[in-house]
Amino acid sequence: MISVSNLSYAFKIGKKGKENIVPVLHDVNLQVAEGEIVAVVGRSGSGKSTLLNLISGFIQPEVGSITINGTNVSKFSESKWAEFRLNHLGFIFQSFQLIPSMSAFENVELPLVLKGVNVPERKKRTEEMLKRVGLESFQNHYPGELSGGQQQRVSIARALILNPPLILADEPTGSLDSENEKQLLCFIKELNENYGITFLMITHDHEVASIAHRKVEIIDGYLREERILHEVQR
Amino acid sequence: MKFKDKHKFVRSNMKKNRTRLWMTILASTIGCAFLIMLASIGFAIHKTAVDDVMSFRMVNEIQVQKESGMMTENDVMKLEQIKGVKAVTRKKYTPANQLSIDEFNTFANVMSAHMPSEEKAGFELDKGRMPKNKNEIVVGYHFAEDLRKDQPDNYLEGLSEEQAQEKMKELSYKGELLNKTLTYHLKTDNPDIKIEGPVQTVDVKIVGIGKKPAREWAHDNSVFITEDLYNEVISILGKQDPKIASADELKNYGEVKAFTASADDVKEVTDRIEKLDYMTYSIIKELKQMNVYFTLFKAGLIFIGAIAVLIASIGIFNTMTMAVTERSQDIGIMKAIGATPKTVKRIFLLESAYIGLWGVGLGTLLAYITSYGVNFALPIIIEQFVNETPPEGFMLSYIPWSLTAIAVTICMGVTLLSGWRPAAKATTVDVLKALRRDV
Ligand SMILES: Nc1ncnc2c1ncn2[C@@H]1O[C@H](COP(=O)(O)OP(=O)(O)O)[C@@H](O)[C@H]1O
Ligand SMILES: [Mg+2]
Repeated sequence: MISVSNLSYAFKIGKKGKENIVPVLHDVNLQVAEGEIVAVVGRSGSGKSTLLNLISGFIQPEVGSITINGTNVSKFSESKWAEFRLNHLGFIFQSFQLIPSMSAFENVELPLVLKGVNVPERKKRTEEMLKRVGLESFQNHYPGELSGGQQQRVSIARALILNPPLILADEPTGSLDSENEKQLLCFIKELNENYGITFLMITHDHEVASIAHRKVEIIDGYLREERILHEVQR
Repeated sequence: MKFKDKHKFVRSNMKKNRTRLWMTILASTIGCAFLIMLASIGFAIHKTAVDDVMSFRMVNEIQVQKESGMMTENDVMKLEQIKGVKAVTRKKYTPANQLSIDEFNTFANVMSAHMPSEEKAGFELDKGRMPKNKNEIVVGYHFAEDLRKDQPDNYLEGLSEEQAQEKMKELSYKGELLNKTLTYHLKTDNPDIKIEGPVQTVDVKIVGIGKKPAREWAHDNSVFITEDLYNEVISILGKQDPKIASADELKNYGEVKAFTASADDVKEVTDRIEKLDYMTYSIIKELKQMNVYFTLFKAGLIFIGAIAVLIASIGIFNTMTMAVTERSQDIGIMKAIGATPKTVKRIFLLESAYIGLWGVGLGTLLAYITSYGVNFALPIIIEQFVNETPPEGFMLSYIPWSLTAIAVTICMGVTLLSGWRPAAKATTVDVLKALRRDV
């Protein structure tokens, strides 16, 4: 599903001409198979988010290549990336990233709108999805009127609405209390088992055990395969 | 993303800061209205000038002259042969001008006319018909007014000019003139010639009265006699004054006009006539020169007006720049999910286009209302304060369709131009920076 090879990345900070180069990732190789849940762990500032952002196309790699779902995305233009994200990737963020001026319904509907799906189908699919995350009675609420857990469920609904084969999650449980965290991990596991959705997520060590098949650790920009936690089922 | 969804999205965005939105729209409205109003003055002056020119000549009329000398019978025949010429009217001036009926007398402007050509050229009558026989005549619309009884002594003494004019009217012929027979006094208007015995006269019958001139102040007291009568008159006058018998200007035509079937043919026919070394004069020609001048004038006004639009567009630029800054998080989220830069750009361009459309729509409306109001109120104000009636059909502001189209194009163009940079800026919003808001 994801194949990262020889990926290096360095941030350039400062003015042009006298930039400071901050190397973050060094020669990273990572394979994620279809149907896997892979957890990325590592200390804060080790480069986990940077890796995920590269795979998401939010930043562009200069060295190395990334292939997702058989497509080499390393040299994608911004608009190609946008299209690719819409059609192939789902995102869950630590801080939910919902649009505050849109209701839960509108937030979940947004990818369908971007894709140009017609109104009746949009309504049907969005309502179905909200039901699936247990928020059917909150569809007219705005993000500010929802709890953290509810907001995260809205964001998951939004990530799932176009049935992406792969979901990228950067500390999805980071802003949740332990109750909501458990629920979310459960839901991820269920999605993986029932729909075969692949997950690449950055998380903390202790939660991972319950659901991830595999764990990779980034130490100062070098990726190290830890150990297989479970055999991939099926 | 479908257009309908973009529209919905933009509309809900626009509702977020209504005051700012309406202030921006107000600025565009004023800018657009100012542009239209300012230019409309130029358009009004141009229109007035054109109407003025057209009102005393027909569009399909080409006046023809020779470089030197007068137009002869031969010239007229040549003109009649030219392709596209419908009729050639020609007039000769007579040196005898006095006509009378009972005790009423007038000195009119008597001319001979070739009646069949006049008819073909579309001579317009108020009443009656064109002459068919030698002694039939057509008179101008104001002929009766000038046909007066002799003034008693001291008749106008102590009267103001206006009062005198009114008083003179009382002397005018009041009855119906059509089909009346008048006496034409065949005496040359040369004061040096003295005639012994009674003046020879000829009876002429009015069979037609010309149409009222288009212009209020124009005074038409002309008399058209047939060419046959003219020849007779000249031979009689020639006996009184030997100069008349040999005068060239009485044998030849004082005024020759060629008429085309339609205004569209005038240019072509004019070219053909000029190829034969005649000088021509037509409205189309005059208008062409006038149009160059007025087009420049109007362009200048539009240019000045466009500056107002430009200033208003700075407001749009500011509003859109602020909107982009305020919504950079939303933009970031949308881009992260999969909105292409093109979509983002379109959304913001659409928003500025809507502001522009509102501005243009309201501005045009405001301009029309103001224009109507000014045209309605100004004559009243002038009458009240300056105590003078403005000329008939007076217009200070005229907004033709073309002006509206020009203004809309300029306003929308400037709007989109000013919305372009903010929209382009929106596409460069960095996803990561936008997402990092509260982490
Ligand atoms: N936009 C940026 N500009 C410069 N340096 C950055 C930027 N983003 C992250 N970094 C640096 O890159 C390193 C890795 O950051 P990140 O990938 O966010 O770490 P993690 O997610 O593992 O905590 C950090 O040292 C951080 O300072
Ligand atoms: Mg991080």
